[in-house]
Amino acid sequence: MSAYWAGFDRGFRRTVADPGDMAVRVGFFAIILVVMTALWRAAVDSHGGSVGGYDMPALLWYVFAAQTAVLGVRPRSVEEIGDEIGSGAIAIQMLRPVSVVGMRISIELGEAAARIIGALVAGGLLTWGFAGPPPSAAALALAVPAMMLGCAANIASQHAFGAVAFWLLDAKSSWFFYQKLVFLPGGMLIPLELLPHPLELASRLLPFATMAYVPGRLASGDADPMLLVWQVGWLAALMAAAVAAFAAGERRLQVMGG
Amino acid sequence: MNAIAATLRSAAADAIANLGSFWFQVSLMIANDVTWVLFWVLFFNRVGHVKGWAVQDVIVLFSILLVSAGLSLGVFANCRRIGHLAADGELDETLVLPVSPLPYLLSRRIDAANVGDLLFGPVLFVVAGHPTPQRAALFVVGALAGSLVLIGFLVACGALTMFVGGRGEQADLGFNAILIFASYPLDLFGGATKVLLFTAVPAAFVTGIPARLVREFDAPSALLLVVVSLAFGLLGWGLFQLGLRRYSSGSIWAR
Repeated sequence: MSAYWAGFDRGFRRTVADPGDMAVRVGFFAIILVVMTALWRAAVDSHGGSVGGYDMPALLWYVFAAQTAVLGVRPRSVEEIGDEIGSGAIAIQMLRPVSVVGMRISIELGEAAARIIGALVAGGLLTWGFAGPPPSAAALALAVPAMMLGCAANIASQHAFGAVAFWLLDAKSSWFFYQKLVFLPGGMLIPLELLPHPLELASRLLPFATMAYVPGRLASGDADPMLLVWQVGWLAALMAAAVAAFAAGERRLQVMGG
Repeated sequence: MNAIAATLRSAAADAIANLGSFWFQVSLMIANDVTWVLFWVLFFNRVGHVKGWAVQDVIVLFSILLVSAGLSLGVFANCRRIGHLAADGELDETLVLPVSPLPYLLSRRIDAANVGDLLFGPVLFVVAGHPTPQRAALFVVGALAGSLVLIGFLVACGALTMFVGGRGEQADLGFNAILIFASYPLDLFGGATKVLLFTAVPAAFVTGIPARLVREFDAPSALLLVVVSLAFGLLGWGLFQLGLRRYSSGSIWAR
């Protein structure tokens, strides 16, 4: 078993072994679905049955997939990375004969896989109850790998973003800002088609849309495989950025004491 | 009272000890809040009115939430950590002090980031909430009552850890639930969800009722808000005091 696969396996098992955390996340997810269902139902009702080409089932399946992809990721990963770099704890990880960022991403992907499975089951049932069957089974089948790819892009991006702590020694609270980039330009709160046109165009040029919008769009019934290609392209770029940022940061890291 | 005021002063001094970091965190939280305002503007720009709520009504609701969250999660930051403190045995050091434990715990830590909410909430109300003397007075009273509800609810959820064990998971869930529900207009919800918001997860009293009072004052609702906020304050206090009777030391060196 390779070290990275072992890291993935460890992350998966650790998450499954903590039912309390899993229950909180699934509960949180259920609350979000209840709230978003109420919000979009009111919006659709006051708008003659559809908003921006999305009818009620399409919107709710969009919300389900976009939220699943985002909730799979550790929410404060940027801050945790910053803390480990700022405190020097990352020096211990650098003693291992594997890439620090590669191992971290492997572990977080394992955790994300476990959370996504939980959210898929619980959220899928709830969404089915609220909205009926998905608009397209084929599109939903594409949305499942898209959720995992979105998670992976998000995790890689958080590492690239958090690596700024190698220079600033602090990434505290910057996760708030990062999170909002996923919320709005990423399409987690509102589909990109509902944004004003210039903002929609700008959002499509940024990587954040691959983290929430793409899974959401697929689950809403648009079975376009090119959306997955878009995700894979950004995932490769974000992975490369994370690896490069950590490599540059590790070269300049100096840790005092021990 | 002097001891609690001194603790709060020392928590404030600690929060601003690194002034650069303090303002950085405050700024990021304000940027976070602006994103939410932007979301609501974009949403209402697209859909118009929703169940009688227009964008300016939601901005008033959001301003009240910011002040309530700023007071409870910023100034009295430990109110959401009671469960974790109990689970980790960190109440021990408080129990040996000659002060009332709950006020001391609540005033011991200020979260700089959430202070950003407290600063931005009133500014947002003044800029976009159409303030008049009456609306401003109701905004202040509503936000204070909402803060008391939020603090009481979070302390009660955390104190449950001393009865049911665990690491405060129910408090985390309660925290997420009340903040999410309080972020959205009350009239969106109906049936069982609405009953929930007036009882077990009292988000209606954190933002919904205060925002409705700012829009259109009515005395019975105002009275209800005051009574409920006092009731949740007492609930938090009572559950914490009862929980202390069951609390046993979790000292790390004793494990």
